Parts: sequence; structure tokens; C-alpha cells
Amino acid sequence: MKKKSFINRRQFIKAMAGLSIAPAIGLTSAAGADINQFGKLADTFTCIGCKRCMSACKRWNSLKVERNELVSDKNTDLSGNNWVVVNLRSDKKNKTQRNYMHWACQHCQEPACAGVCPVSAIKKLDSGPVVINEKKCIGCRYCYQACPFKVPRFDFEKRVTRKCTLCYNRFPLNYKKPACVAACPVGALAFGYRHEIIREAKKRLHDLKKPGYIMGIEEAGGTAMITLLPARPENMGLIQAPKKIINQDLDKIRITSGGFMGASIIAYAMYLYSGIIINPDKENNDSTN
Amino acid sequence: MIQQIKYKSHSALDAMGKKKSFYIWITCLLSMILLCGFALLASFVTSLEILEFSIKIPWAGMISTYVFLVAAGSGLCIINALGAVFGMHRYEILGKRIAFLSLTLIVFGMLCIVLHLGHPERMPIYNAISPNFRSAISWMGALYSGYLLFVGLELYLLIRPDLFKRSLASTGRIRTILTLLTLEKFKNSVLVKLLENPGFHKVIGTLAFLAGISALSMLGSVFAHSESRTLWYGPYYPAYFIVSAIFCGYAFLIIMTIISHKTGDDPMPAQVMSLIFEMAQVLALLLAVGLLFITCRITLGLFNPLQQGPLLLLLKGPFMVGFWGFEIFLMSILPVFFLLWGAQRKSLPSVFAGCIMVLTGAFVMRYLFVVAGQIFPNISKDLPTYLPTLMEIFVLLGVFATFLLVYTMGEKVLALKETSSSSLPEKSNDLIEEHIIKSGVVNERL
Ligand code: SF4
Ligand code: SF4
Ligand code: SF4
Repeated sequence: MKKKSFINRRQFIKAMAGLSIAPAIGLTSAAGADINQFGKLADTFTCIGCKRCMSACKRWNSLKVERNELVSDKNTDLSGNNWVVVNLRSDKKNKTQRNYMHWACQHCQEPACAGVCPVSAIKKLDSGPVVINEKKCIGCRYCYQACPFKVPRFDFEKRVTRKCTLCYNRFPLNYKKPACVAACPVGALAFGYRHEIIREAKKRLHDLKKPGYIMGIEEAGGTAMITLLPARPENMGLIQAPKKIINQDLDKIRITSGGFMGASIIAYAMYLYSGIIINPDKENNDSTN
Repeated sequence: MIQQIKYKSHSALDAMGKKKSFYIWITCLLSMILLCGFALLASFVTSLEILEFSIKIPWAGMISTYVFLVAAGSGLCIINALGAVFGMHRYEILGKRIAFLSLTLIVFGMLCIVLHLGHPERMPIYNAISPNFRSAISWMGALYSGYLLFVGLELYLLIRPDLFKRSLASTGRIRTILTLLTLEKFKNSVLVKLLENPGFHKVIGTLAFLAGISALSMLGSVFAHSESRTLWYGPYYPAYFIVSAIFCGYAFLIIMTIISHKTGDDPMPAQVMSLIFEMAQVLALLLAVGLLFITCRITLGLFNPLQQGPLLLLLKGPFMVGFWGFEIFLMSILPVFFLLWGAQRKSLPSVFAGCIMVLTGAFVMRYLFVVAGQIFPNISKDLPTYLPTLMEIFVLLGVFATFLLVYTMGEKVLALKETSSSSLPEKSNDLIEEHIIKSGVVNERL
């Protein structure tokens, strides 16, 4: 059964048209008006593990098939060529509850990756996607270290770090949805305005009448990717991010100030040390003069 | 007249002359560099994957070596400040050595980063065009660039009198080059006057100190800003980096000074010898302070549920041997006895052994810090592991070998070996002036 899409084609194209041009001309900015931001829903209760999203993503983004990652039920990990993975995981507390986890970049509202990239290669576009400019990336992998979900992965061939772009480059070509969403045969994936996606996730969970967890509302300060899970992420074998914006600038300043305070203490200790020991120096000098 | 000015011949060729052991040393270094070249070529032909293969632990050998070298180089900048900024004149005898060692350590540390990056060629371009002021790496790059500039200038100021002496003693093209390097032609210009002003030396020394210590603390911040890497996160590492960098700096300095004097024919000047024993004591004290830092870190960390996981990896997990054996015993405890005993009994071998232990332990400590820091957060049943590949080891050995080769050559070319007549730069200038006037060299040249 196909689930409905949350925006009409015209709205979608209008909002996304500028996105592919934006990074090229440098007109990008961080999360502004949340209301106009898009989001993607992954409903792990509906997913059947066919991995069509994975192959559609590979096709659209010209990514290589690395090994046997497209074979059903083969556990696989994100990589420079796997921007989305689907893995079967069971709930730690209830082993009978087994769902397919659709896992890709969460497109954080306040992306930690963009905050640390030394060459500003990562931008959060106004409409939601967090995109790496691969022509700019120097391949330092600092974004990977900062990302709370450990998403951006290094591509050893292209020598840059790569990840899901939320298909921001499909929209100027009049495609309505990201490739993975369009390929899903059962409507486990959906795309629309983020607030509508959250509403839809809540509705689906309510309709299921099962315990569940909606990931992405608060994790890492909120993400554009909303995942409907049967249990908390850590119980489903996913990385649990803190429910707050991480790597905030003020926090960075606090930590660096700690270092500078340490440096000042060391400098003062050196000053004292030289003050105590300096006299023999002076005496030596005086005696030689 | 010119020939009357005697000083040791400093050419690289001279250095290569005499000793068989020197040839063996150079051959060993060159073979390691060859192996490194092979590994790098293979990585270009096949994939970067053969060097640092892990996607989940992308910072490994190269980054730990970077941290090890660069932190030691910055530690030397702090030690240098004792003489250049805080007025402990006896440290000035080691000034040239400290500046050159610091410069080479940092440059070769940077080389590790260049080898690690996917596209190093883009780094200077985009760092200049679109730096990210929210990123600690950007700040670290800028501060280290500033530091290299200041320490390079400081080294130039220190060797200028020596270059001047050499230019007087040489002829032909060499003399022209040396004359250009010393800016002798612009003797009366404002620039040269500035360079000769002792106050300017102090300003440059202070700027180098400030840039170095800030860069070092920023290096700690690169790791400490990553909130999701709970082992690295927090203000502890930017502070601990400074302490550990100073003790690594001291260890490097003592080792290089001892090797330099033990491989030569002249005895070590008494002034240098007593300074080594003094530094050995300071180093022992710093190791104790470092151990205190580690103890506090572990104790406080174990009470923090977020940090328990990575800390237990060190305390009783796969990194246990490295932590207890190398970081605690070999780096922090054993050398304290060797250093104190050596300083008391005036035993250079004991001090030397202590310093080697410190550096070996510190290298493992950096490796553990970098690699163990990346194990969490992760899915618990699927924790990644890392052991360097053979190719990675070749590259790292190559970096160390090139560093040692450049340092060995630099030692000879720049005449870093301290002699009992080594004096302050400003004093050297005066001496040269005096000598020139007395010997009539100026008249001859005119
Ligand atoms: S999930 Fe990671 S890579 Fe994706 S936007 Fe958030 S921080 Fe960046
Ligand atoms: S790997 Fe690329 S995108 Fe990631 S932080 Fe480094 S330069 Fe930026
Ligand atoms: S949104 Fe596009 S890039 Fe991201 S996983 Fe889906 S198909 Fe791939």
C-alpha cells in the first residue's frame, strides 16, 4: 500500500529549485525557518528489507556496488558508496521484535559535521538537507568524528568523505521525492515538510497500537530524518545520540578556554620557576661582566 | 686575514666524511625512506585504503604520529621560552637546537597530516578562501602556521651571526649566497637594524611562545570538541596536551643533545652537561604532574557513565597492555627513577635511557588516545578494532627516518652543536663587529 505524499509537486519544486544552485554560488545558510524544512520518514514497521532504496540511491548517485550489500538480510555498514543501509535488527529486550533499520544521514537541524569542517565544505541548506561539497572536501574525516551518528564515511577512491544528500540535486530536475523514497514499494519511506513528517510518524505509531519510538524529534537537537522504531535506538542496535544540540559553539569556547587557562597556568609556573632559578643566571652574568 | 677566523667546518660534506657509523646511520635512514616511498606509491596506484584502512577508525597511525611529533615540537617552543622570554640565559645555549628541532618536528608532523588527507592540495586553497572559524582544525592550522613563521625567524636570528662569520671565511658563490642570507648589503637599513635589536629577538621569542602554546592547546581542542567522542571530550585534553608536550619536548631535546655530543670528538661543555641534568630533574617533575593528570582523569571519568566505556577499554580492555605497560609504567613511573638517579649521579646514560622510555611510552600513549577514542560511540556487539598495516608502519618509519635525516643534516649544516664559547645572539653580533674591526676585514672588503 502506497502512503500519501505530504506536499504537492509545485510546492516541492519551488522550494527545492534553488538548492542545487545554492551551494555552487555559496548562498547557503543554517537552519532558519523550520516550517519550510523538509524531512524524510523511515517507518521500520513497514519496511520489508527489499533494499530497493539502497539500489535506487546507488543508481541516482552513481555509487559502486562494493560487495554483496544489496543482497537481502546481508548486514552492511555505511561507506563512501553506501549512503543508506537497511539492516535487520532485533529489539534487545524483546528478541521477537525484528525490524529492518533504514539508516542514513539524519540531516540534523544543527549539524555538528558542518560546525567542524575546516574548509566549510559542509552546509545545511535552507530547506533541510546537509550537503558535503565533494569538490572542496580535503578528506580530513573530522566531520565523521563530530557526527553524533557516525555517518559521513571516507571514500578511499575519491579520497573525500561522502554521505546522503537528501537528493537535493533531484529537485531542479522535477523529481518529486528522493530516489530512495520514490523506490520504496511499500511506502515505508515518505518525504515532505518536517513538521508534517513528524505528524505522520505520530499518526502511524498511533495507528499501529504498538509500543514504539520516534527518533529524530529531539536527537542531536532534532533531525530532518524521522525514524519510527519499535524501541529506543540503542536497543535496536543504532547509535543513540544525546537529546540536545551537540558541538555547540559556546561549548567549544568553554573547552578551548579550559586549554588556555591551562596554558596560562603553565606560563605562570615557568615565570615563577625562572624567577626562583634566575638569580644564579644573573650572578653568572655579573661575574662574567 | 679572513682565514684567521677559525671555526669548525660545518658543511654537510664534512659531516659525511669521517665516520663509518655515520654512513651506516644514513644508509638505515635511506632504506626506511625507500620503504616509505614504496608504500606511498602503492597507495597512489591502488588505494589510500592500504595505509589507513579502517572506515570506522579513520584517525590512526598517521594522526597519532602527527600528535606525537607536533606536540613535542610545541613543547620545545615552551622550553625555548624559558631562555627567550623568561630570561633564563643558560637555556640560550640550546636556543638554536631547540628552534631547529621544534621546527623540524612540527614540519614532519604536518607531513603526516598531508599523507593522511585525501586531498592535501586543496587544504591551503580552501583554508584561505573559506576557513571555518567554528572549526578547531582551522584555528590550529592558522596558529601553527604563525608559530612556524615566528620560530623560523627566531632560528634565522640565532644563526645569522654564524652565517656572517662563515661568509667572511668563504669565497666565490658561497660567499655571495651567505652575504645575501645575512642581508649584509643592507647593513644600515631599518630592517637589519631591527633584526639586530635584542628587543626584537625577545618580541619574536614571545610571539613564538604565544603562538606555540595556543596552537598546542588548540590541538587538544581538535579532539576535545568532539562531544560524541566521550574519551576526548572536555577541557581535560587541551590542558593535558600542554603538560605532556613539555615532557616530550624535554625528552627529545635531551636525547638529541646527548647524541650530538656523544657522536662527536669534543667533550660535552660543562654548561650543557649541567643543563641536561637540570632538565632531567624538571622532566621527572613533569612526569609526576602528568601522572597526577592521568589519575584524576581516570578517577573522575569512571564516575561518568558516558566515559566509562572508553576508559575501561584502556584499563582492562584490548588497550590494557599499552595503557598500564607503556603509558603508566614506561612513560610515567620508570623514567622518573632513571632521570633522578642520573641527575644525582651525573650519569648521562641513565638520563638518556629515561628519555627514551618517555618517548616510547608517549608514542604509545598518543596512539591509544587517538585509536581508543574512536571505539565509542558504536553498536556494542560490533566494536571496531584497529592494528596498523605493514604499509602504514613503513610510512611512519619513513616519516621518522626523514625527520632524523633532515635533523642530522641540519645539525651539521647549521652547526647546532653547542660549544663552550656559544653565546647570546646579540653578544655574537657584537663580537663579530669587534673582530671585523680589529682584523681590518672591513677595510679589506671596502
Ligand atoms: S547525521 Fe551526522 S553527517 Fe548527517 S547532518 Fe547530522 S552530523 Fe552531519
Ligand atoms: S572530511 Fe571533508 S567534509 Fe569532512 S570535515 Fe574534512 S573537509 Fe570537511
Ligand atoms: S535521500 Fe537520496 S542520497 Fe539520501 S539515501 Fe535516499 S537516495 Fe540516497
